Amino acid sequence: MTNPYISNRKIFYMYASLWCMIAFLHFLIITINLKMKWQFAAMDAVVFNLLYLAIGISLWFMASYNSLENYTTRKILINHFSAAVITTGCWIGISYFLLTGILIDNKIYKDELYNSLIWRFLIGILYYSVLTAIDYVIIYYNSFQTKLLKELELNTFVKEAELKSLKYQINPHFIFNSLNSISSLTMTDPAKAREMTIKLSQFLRSTLSKNERQKSKLSEEIANAKLYLEIEKVRFGERLDFVEDMQKYCADIEVPSMILQPLFENSIKHGVYESIDTVVIKLLCRIEKDYLIITVSNNFDPEAVSSKGEGIGLRNIRSRLKLIYNQENLLVSKKEKSQFTVNIYIPLLKKESENE
Amino acid sequence: MNKIKAVIIDDEKLGRDIVKNYLSGYPAIEITAECANGFEGIKAINELKPDLIFLDIQMPKINGFEMLEIIEEPPVIIFTTAFDQYALKAFEVNAADYLLKPFSLERFKEAVDKAVKQVEMNEPFSEKAKGLIKSNDESKEFLERVVVKTNQKISIIPVDDINYLESQDDYVMLYTGQGKFLKQKTMKYFEERLNPSEFVRIHRTHIVKLNRIKQIELFEKESYRVILHTGEKLPVSKTGYQKLKEMF
Repeated sequence: MTNPYISNRKIFYMYASLWCMIAFLHFLIITINLKMKWQFAAMDAVVFNLLYLAIGISLWFMASYNSLENYTTRKILINHFSAAVITTGCWIGISYFLLTGILIDNKIYKDELYNSLIWRFLIGILYYSVLTAIDYVIIYYNSFQTKLLKELELNTFVKEAELKSLKYQINPHFIFNSLNSISSLTMTDPAKAREMTIKLSQFLRSTLSKNERQKSKLSEEIANAKLYLEIEKVRFGERLDFVEDMQKYCADIEVPSMILQPLFENSIKHGVYESIDTVVIKLLCRIEKDYLIITVSNNFDPEAVSSKGEGIGLRNIRSRLKLIYNQENLLVSKKEKSQFTVNIYIPLLKKESENE
Repeated sequence: MNKIKAVIIDDEKLGRDIVKNYLSGYPAIEITAECANGFEGIKAINELKPDLIFLDIQMPKINGFEMLEIIEEPPVIIFTTAFDQYALKAFEVNAADYLLKPFSLERFKEAVDKAVKQVEMNEPFSEKAKGLIKSNDESKEFLERVVVKTNQKISIIPVDDINYLESQDDYVMLYTGQGKFLKQKTMKYFEERLNPSEFVRIHRTHIVKLNRIKQIELFEKESYRVILHTGEKLPVSKTGYQKLKEMF
């Protein structure tokens, strides 16, 4: 830990002015109370206090090495007590030598100084205690600040990591099943196999590249999700149908990327996978009040018992929306007789000012 | 030598196509049916008695494993699926092989060769049946539905519809709002696989769905019984009573 009295200019100035004040009081007390000649009193005040100013700076190391967490209270008290006695002793000794031996050659002053040594010693101990207490406060404050900073850093880090992991969730089975369809088509319909390979590549490419950006235009997002549906359409044929209805002015609104595809995936998983009849997936985009509302719905077979409540897919989207827009309940799902509907609410921001 | 009869069960046409295509190199194997879902599959197996089936696992309504549960004489099985997490379970039902989609012709040949050997060895059915029963005990997820066969009809019972279960020798009777169904499983099987926050085994012979209980009453000295909303009364053992006390 660096010494704040040296490294931090502000603290040093405050510390120095504190000593100026003390020196001034010192001067007043000995001129008024002890009736000392003002020249002697001034010299006395300057020597004693300037010296303690220097000693005080080095006391920081005493405090920072005797950290409260690492040592027992007893040990700390003993250390500081002996340090207090030694430093104060040195302080008095050096000051006394400087004043009487070099600076002032006056019998009366010498006697007076000699008589007040015990008081000066006690005051020195007091200075030591106060400065050490201040040092501990500074140390505590510093570590508290670093902790806060670290916590903040950690939070942002966790948030980022969370966001990433929520996004990278292309179902591997989708890829394997698509590849199987392609493998099959190569024998029966090579042209279609090629078409599907291209679509799959396009989908994967845009999905992978999107991971770097957090948002994309709704129209792009829909195009990508449709690519996904077209691929699944090849697998499921007549069992899957898609209807879309979008208000024109929705197209350019920015939405979190890869937010639609998991909804379609969900529809396919709980609709198409579980039903023998045709499942129609509907996409509806509109603006209401301050929100862009994206609705994805599909019919399902009510007899097919699928897990109640929401799957991981929907929960992930909800937490992603929450992380991005800092609002609860931006995803609402409801299950009616044989119709499953998910509504996503994208807040329309006056300024684009969400977390990066 | 007779031709080997095979049935392909997969809900995706392209999935069936590839098996069909690969099989065209096997004059000794005849495809007797193609099925697009589990129901068709059960029907085809029971009626056509194939020697070999190619079975997808993920299918609408009734999946590959559930299908096998209610087939009396399962043929030799080759699973074809994109899901690798079922491999262990597949071998517990004595599947000849487990093909991960997409699979190559070489890999397919390997599987078919194994299967043909099994067909020729004519492995006794009982071995497989044991495997079947064991397989479902391994799974860690809670049951969501139970597939039963009554006479010629297949019923899929959501566990939410079950009021209570009662042991009957080697079977368990499921009492639902739509009537009762017999399933060849043990009480232990259901106790382990039903969600314990919804179902409690209150007695050696009974498991009850908690939200169907109307009240618990003192029956005789130190012996209790529960009364369901439907009016039925079920016995409660001492340990059963302890469990119920913890739940409420």
